[in-house]
Amino acid sequence: MSIPGLGQIAPTAVQTTTSAAVSPTTTQSLEPFWEYRFEVAHGSTLNIKLVSGTAEKDGTELAPSTPYAFTATKTRINTWHGCTLEISSEPGAVYDAYTSEPTADETPMVSYVNLHFKLDGLRATAERTGQMGPRVLVIGPPNSGKTSLVRMLTGWATRVGRQPLVVNADCREGMLALPGTLSAAVFATIIDPTSEWGSTPSSGPSPVPVKLPLAYYYGMASPDDNPRFFKRLLSRLAVASTSRLTEDPGVKTSGMLIDSGGVNAKGGYDHIAHIVAEFSVNIVLVVGSERVGSEMQKRFAGQQTSLGETITVVGLDKSGGVVERDAGFMQQVREAAIREYFFGSSKTTLSPFTQQMDFAALSMWKVNQAPTASDEDSYSEAIEKAEPSLMMQNCTLAVMYATVHDTAETIRDSNVMGFVYVAEVDEKRRKLKVLAPVSARLGDRPLLWGSWPEPMVSLVG
Amino acid sequence: MTSYSESEAVAEDFREALEDVNTNDRHEISNLTLIARENTEHALAISGALVDHIKRIAPHKKLPSLYVLDSIVKNVGTPYTLFFGRKLYHTFMDAYAMVDMGTRRKMDEMLKTWKEPVPGSIDTRPVFPPDVVRPIENALIKVRTTALQQHQAHMKSQQQLLGRGRPTAQGMPYRETPTPPGARPPPQAHGYQLPNHSTNGMSYGQPTQPLPPNYQSHPNMPFPSRSTPQPMPSSSAFQPPPVGGYGMSQAGISTGSLNDDIQRLITAFKAQIAQAPHDPTIQTRLKALVDLQTILQTQNLPQDQLVLVKNQISDLAVTIRASPAQPPTPIPKAQPVAVAPPPPAAAPKVSLDSLFGSGALAALMARSSSTPQVSTPQPPPATVATRSPPPQRAEPQKAAAATPDPMALMNMLRQAGMLPPPTPAVATTPVPISTPVPVPTPSLPFPIPLPIPGATMGNQSRRPVTMETFTGDIALKASSLKQFRPQLLPFLFEAQGPQCTQCGRRFARDEKGKRKKTAHMDWHFKVNQRIAEAEKRGQHRSWLVDEVDWINTRETIDKDHAGHPGDSDAASGGSASKAAKVEYIPVPDDAALAASVCPICQDRFETRWLDDAQEFVWADAMKVGERIYHASCHREATKDGGNTPMVFARSTPEPVLGKRKAEQDELSSVRGKMKTEFA
Ligand SMILES: [Zn+2]
Ligand SMILES: [Zn+2]
Repeated sequence: MSIPGLGQIAPTAVQTTTSAAVSPTTTQSLEPFWEYRFEVAHGSTLNIKLVSGTAEKDGTELAPSTPYAFTATKTRINTWHGCTLEISSEPGAVYDAYTSEPTADETPMVSYVNLHFKLDGLRATAERTGQMGPRVLVIGPPNSGKTSLVRMLTGWATRVGRQPLVVNADCREGMLALPGTLSAAVFATIIDPTSEWGSTPSSGPSPVPVKLPLAYYYGMASPDDNPRFFKRLLSRLAVASTSRLTEDPGVKTSGMLIDSGGVNAKGGYDHIAHIVAEFSVNIVLVVGSERVGSEMQKRFAGQQTSLGETITVVGLDKSGGVVERDAGFMQQVREAAIREYFFGSSKTTLSPFTQQMDFAALSMWKVNQAPTASDEDSYSEAIEKAEPSLMMQNCTLAVMYATVHDTAETIRDSNVMGFVYVAEVDEKRRKLKVLAPVSARLGDRPLLWGSWPEPMVSLVG
Repeated sequence: MTSYSESEAVAEDFREALEDVNTNDRHEISNLTLIARENTEHALAISGALVDHIKRIAPHKKLPSLYVLDSIVKNVGTPYTLFFGRKLYHTFMDAYAMVDMGTRRKMDEMLKTWKEPVPGSIDTRPVFPPDVVRPIENALIKVRTTALQQHQAHMKSQQQLLGRGRPTAQGMPYRETPTPPGARPPPQAHGYQLPNHSTNGMSYGQPTQPLPPNYQSHPNMPFPSRSTPQPMPSSSAFQPPPVGGYGMSQAGISTGSLNDDIQRLITAFKAQIAQAPHDPTIQTRLKALVDLQTILQTQNLPQDQLVLVKNQISDLAVTIRASPAQPPTPIPKAQPVAVAPPPPAAAPKVSLDSLFGSGALAALMARSSSTPQVSTPQPPPATVATRSPPPQRAEPQKAAAATPDPMALMNMLRQAGMLPPPTPAVATTPVPISTPVPVPTPSLPFPIPLPIPGATMGNQSRRPVTMETFTGDIALKASSLKQFRPQLLPFLFEAQGPQCTQCGRRFARDEKGKRKKTAHMDWHFKVNQRIAEAEKRGQHRSWLVDEVDWINTRETIDKDHAGHPGDSDAASGGSASKAAKVEYIPVPDDAALAASVCPICQDRFETRWLDDAQEFVWADAMKVGERIYHASCHREATKDGGNTPMVFARSTPEPVLGKRKAEQDELSSVRGKMKTEFA
């Protein structure tokens, strides 16, 4: 792929891998368009403070002279005006950092921010005419920076007073909910720069306003595991999102930003078309793949949304710094999400509760894989009753907004109330020990058991 | 339904037809007007094509195209007036900046007629509403005033320099064929004006209408009405009238010599790039130079700022000499750079917009809106009359009401890294370029200072006006998106006001912004207070809300929630008392209890996120024993009995069996509604 402006050469990247033991505090100066890219290991913390200039992390501006503690992350801080950062870490902290030094012609950030301004123009038009703001879907191959782009567009939108409804249609990763869910949330306030998406409500106050997600449980890693179920949940999410959008004026003008899972090489465009249709997507952003871009162009050329708008497909370069995040790292990220759900972060410590439950008192359902299911029958069996077993040990179950008396269909279509973690299964005494976020009994809420996120051994012990 | 491609095709035809309009040929103009009239459904595309054309074509060809615009708005009217109106300021001012004096006069005349109704039309409204025309007028008045003042100042103090200056016109290709006003066939100002404004009465080629008297009068025109060809140095877009045959050369530093220097440097840098094509530093500097050149050619900069520019150029000259990659030939001073004007194709580059992106001029002007000489306030939008209801018209461009302020311009340059930060005392003597100042590398000043406080864009009018206007040129295409538009960045930064030191959010400096900031700081304060308390108490993750509650949730931003639950109790509960304001309970953690309904009315409780308490609460709820009631229901049921047991005066009997049923009915009805409406 050609680099805009200068052809063949890649943005200058100066490797400055830092050995934390040598210099705990360093100063990093960035010129306009440069980025400070860093990876911090699990268990290590990197503190970054903006000393002068302006700086952003995924569209959210850093406050001046305020230390931000990053842990277990691969991310970057960019600047439009130039800045000086003060970087410090505990001795022995493991992290890797370098500056990327592109020019305005080289950085895809220019396209991204222009996109934001264009969207904000469209939102202004929507505001004036009482129409719906743009519904934007971001797709692309894995590791092309889709989520980062969605987060950037979200951050910029809230900065200018918009309230976009952000949808996560990527079941592999969670947004304000655990992996395996599809979720949506309105972002009206800033995202904590040290987090992916911020945190969900807890019983105590949060220094950064919490975001309230609506989540549906899919419980599998790939849309291909049960395509019909996946699409069904997307439709549920679309109905609820559209309702919110229609009834909430600030959200209506701001529109939607939809993050999708990576499109794989052998197609997988089927659920993309479904998202476009269900969410009335009118702008499709294709990041980092001209091939996928032209596929999408072909697919949606001449098509219109349910509102009669033309569907526009836009190709975007991926950020040069998007690194392949290996499977091990991603698993650590998922485990960190589960840990944070129950125990909170370094900023806010949460205390979950353990409960003993009789098998008999439980309404347990298993999410089934059905990769080739195409008929309504196998689809309605997307979930089936399951007897608690040792298989569930170390698994995270979804607590559903339904009752044990509801039909399988109702339970399947319900949204997620929360999660419990199965700490211990005693098949002899037919008892289950779970970790729950709150102390009260679960009552007659059905629990759904899927294969994603994968069992996590080290949560309690 | 109008398809995009159809519009594109029509616009393409229109564009081709436009290419043929090189003179003020009445027939061609009429023909294009007819096309526009017959294709009003493609008005957006057509107007876009025309505006682009005006922007793109060589200065000496701009006038005919402007006449096309003029003809369309007068003979067709809406929707063209709306579409042109949005960009009229840029269209007009950009063209004005580039054309010669004669054309400027024609444009002045044209502008005047836009303030009037179409002659002979029954429509008494002006061609363009005042809010579209006035910013242009204001800008022109400012230009003339500045020009006049500079001229007078010059006359007073610099008489000895008479004749010394030289008209420099580098990079101004249209000087190649100096076209004195009147040398061209007279365009018969508005002679092509179609006599009948109504649809069926288009009689092309009819004798021209007598011009309204005001067409010829120009009370505001300080330009001397000279009939002789004017050797105008057009290097400055808004420049004073030429007097005595000399151009812009003023006291101290002459823009002309600066231009020469810059041109030499540009040539030198280009040579360097040929040697090291991938050195981004050189690219950056070259761009800075080209931009600088443009600024010089299009703006009148005061002396002290010219000194800054000059210093900057000297610095750059040093680097290019010191540069190891320096090619043998291009030594700045020594090399006589081709002074020949570039090919005409380069002409459109002169406009600020073509360098900084569309809207740059307006952005600059918006920045300078704090300068005192802003003219009379805009009339209220109510006086704006549109000729036909939809589409909605663009709001008045408040941002454009002011005129270019060199200070703002310099700030923008500084922000873009082209100029150093303001220096306290500036030498009044120019630094000769032959005396290299020992400054190391004039790389981008770092960190680049943000613009001066108070020079922010009008926060009040930031939306919806500005975003639509300012982003109008961005197309959802890779090529358009890749173009850096520094003029838009302030919308994310300084235009939003200063940052909250705790979280980095920005708050405008105006009254509304101050109120928001106060509420925001209160929020920080309360939350910080509560965090300390919560840590002692112990915290846990909350359950999420269900679909219906989520849909009904509204985000709250730094709202002061004292009494918030009570506010809507007043709406639902009837007896809104102060007591009711605190009647909420945290949503029960107990999942079974969380599903309960009010025993009195069988309704569910309204879940709200109480920002102040940072938790979910049930509004208008109270716990009596182990049961939860609506506070209002409970009050109603017990108001005359005190301790008497509940008297359920509900029409629904079966309170026990009906509970689950009522809840489910409600849920399914909402879901049903969602399905029918949005599925
Ligand atoms: Zn704050
Ligand atoms: Zn009640």
